[in-house]
Amino acid sequence: MAARRIWSSTPVRLSLALVALFALVSFASLTITYYVIRTPLEQSLRDTLNQEMAGFRVVPSASALASLVRSQSQVTQPEKRIISYRLPNGVVVGNAALIADREGYRAISLSPGSASIEGEYFTLTEVLHGGLLTIAVNAEPVAALRRIFTRVFLFSLVPTTLIALGGALVLARRSQRRIDRLEAALNRLARGEFAARVGPIGGTEDDLSRIGEQIDAMADELESKVAALRQVSSDIAHDLKTPIQRLTVLLERLGAMADLPEPAARLADQARAEAEAMVRTFQALLQIAQIEGGSPRARFARLDLSALARTFCEVYEPSAEETGHQLICAPADGPLPVLGDKVLIGQLFANLIENALRHTPPGTEVRVRTGGGDDEGGMWLEVSDTGPGIPAGEREAVFRRLYRLESSRTTPGSGLGLSLVRAIADLHDARIELGDNGPGLRVAIRFPPIGDRDAA
Amino acid sequence: MKILVVEDDATTGSYVAEGLREEGHVVDLVDNGRDGLIRATEGGYDVLVIDRMVPGLDGMSLVKALRGAGVMTPVLFLTAMGGVDDRIEGLNAGGDDYLVKPFAFGELSARINALGRRPKISHEETVLRAGDLEMDLVRRRVTRAGKVIDLLPREFALLEHLLRRKGRVQTRTMLLEAVWDISFDPQTNVVETHISRLRAKVDKPFGRDLIKTVRGAGYKIEA
Repeated sequence: MAARRIWSSTPVRLSLALVALFALVSFASLTITYYVIRTPLEQSLRDTLNQEMAGFRVVPSASALASLVRSQSQVTQPEKRIISYRLPNGVVVGNAALIADREGYRAISLSPGSASIEGEYFTLTEVLHGGLLTIAVNAEPVAALRRIFTRVFLFSLVPTTLIALGGALVLARRSQRRIDRLEAALNRLARGEFAARVGPIGGTEDDLSRIGEQIDAMADELESKVAALRQVSSDIAHDLKTPIQRLTVLLERLGAMADLPEPAARLADQARAEAEAMVRTFQALLQIAQIEGGSPRARFARLDLSALARTFCEVYEPSAEETGHQLICAPADGPLPVLGDKVLIGQLFANLIENALRHTPPGTEVRVRTGGGDDEGGMWLEVSDTGPGIPAGEREAVFRRLYRLESSRTTPGSGLGLSLVRAIADLHDARIELGDNGPGLRVAIRFPPIGDRDAA
Repeated sequence: MKILVVEDDATTGSYVAEGLREEGHVVDLVDNGRDGLIRATEGGYDVLVIDRMVPGLDGMSLVKALRGAGVMTPVLFLTAMGGVDDRIEGLNAGGDDYLVKPFAFGELSARINALGRRPKISHEETVLRAGDLEMDLVRRRVTRAGKVIDLLPREFALLEHLLRRKGRVQTRTMLLEAVWDISFDPQTNVVETHISRLRAKVDKPFGRDLIKTVRGAGYKIEA
């Protein structure tokens, strides 16, 4: 996994490509230089061979050529120059036997095993009077040149490439670390932690530090926008609630008028109830915004999930009776400690039970259970019913604000209950599971084990 | 009681002031925080009713300044913001109670009365009485006219709360907070149900009602 990450990192790839390019160019230039130097060297050897050959070309016959070769051979050291003539009858004369079968220049290498002499030679062979005359000159300068270039290659280019490779990887890892910090900041921002910043990541005014600065500038703006949004919502709360307060005040006075006929008093009461319902929807929206905006966890305390379950079963018992539901309270025995905000967990229970009562027909069974602490260590609560349930395709959508199932358009409710449930669960790092109760809906909230959060 | 109301909305302010005067309180109304601070430090008030968002000096800063100056008069915050955080912030700033707008006058009145007489609730008594009703807190036994009445734990807690505040109206939300420990309104009639169960056990068999309903406000016990 880590190795794959290294190879997929841009800095590593770029530096590898650069090192490869460097090695290739160096190798090419070394090769070209080698040939550029070797060519005139070879040319001078050819010229020498050609001049020698010219001296033999003027000899009138094969036998005369053979005697000239013989006399020349005696004064010539084969280490420096080899003259070898194969007569038409197959007899070879000269200071060494070099048998070539065709005309032209050649470079040959005599190894100690195959000949009495050794070394690099450059040869010229020509057909003269039916025989083959071969002249070879020692090509040591060319061989030395090749050795020098091989050494240059081995002792300069290879180590340089390796050092460049190492350096590139170190640099790449450094910029990888900086990129990792950019990535980490972006991930936190994406999770809604608007206080996350990249901060100084080293490197003077390069592209990465500029990107870091831009991310931070973006985060600053995002954060101030979120803060402004929060300010706006509390302003709206104040500006909208004050007139609603006036409205309820007026309706209350109206309802309290002594000589008001009974139907009018009832209407005033109804109007007040409507105003209050309006405020509740509004309140829920504000509360979701507040929780999602990061309600402080400082208030979290140990609370007992089972005790809360019992309280809320009791609180909703009268409503269940009224709507003809069977509310069954079956929390686990003994305390189930969870770290959380008591008011919010209470609202979570309230919303889930209220939802179950509201969206199922009379006679439906609504069951409240709690448990956990055995295998995974986390506690859970569950509210299930035997009602119509939620189609699998719509389960994710019900958490959206103001979303309502087609089938529940006619039942009362703001469509905010489950959004609030999700916001509260998220705040507690709890997992929501919507399942099929066969028939009906089962909503489970799984809390992380207490130790986990303490460690986090 | 002498009450100071700090509220910038004229309709709400005058309604609250008039209502409280009708109940026999002496009420001063100011519409900004600065005047509120000056009046409150001059003293002599039993309860301060302060809107959290008033011009001049906001309610929170006002109460912090008062508490800093050693003025310990009970404070009831009125607020448009009803989030859990807002509530706790308000109580941390030195508020004694917190009422979210829109509120009914009965609720406000009951809470003001609870605040004004707060210190008088004693937790040292072991027997609470109202007429011929007796609650023995040590033996956790309730009797009326000598006859033992069996109560469930929640019914006992509800009756105890009302008896300790004999003669004072307790609203639904006050009872939810005190007896069920729920600080939001779950929109159920759990309080009404428990009150009627309590009445069936405590009042019905004896012919004379001790638990009274106060229309538009709540319940109280009166001998």
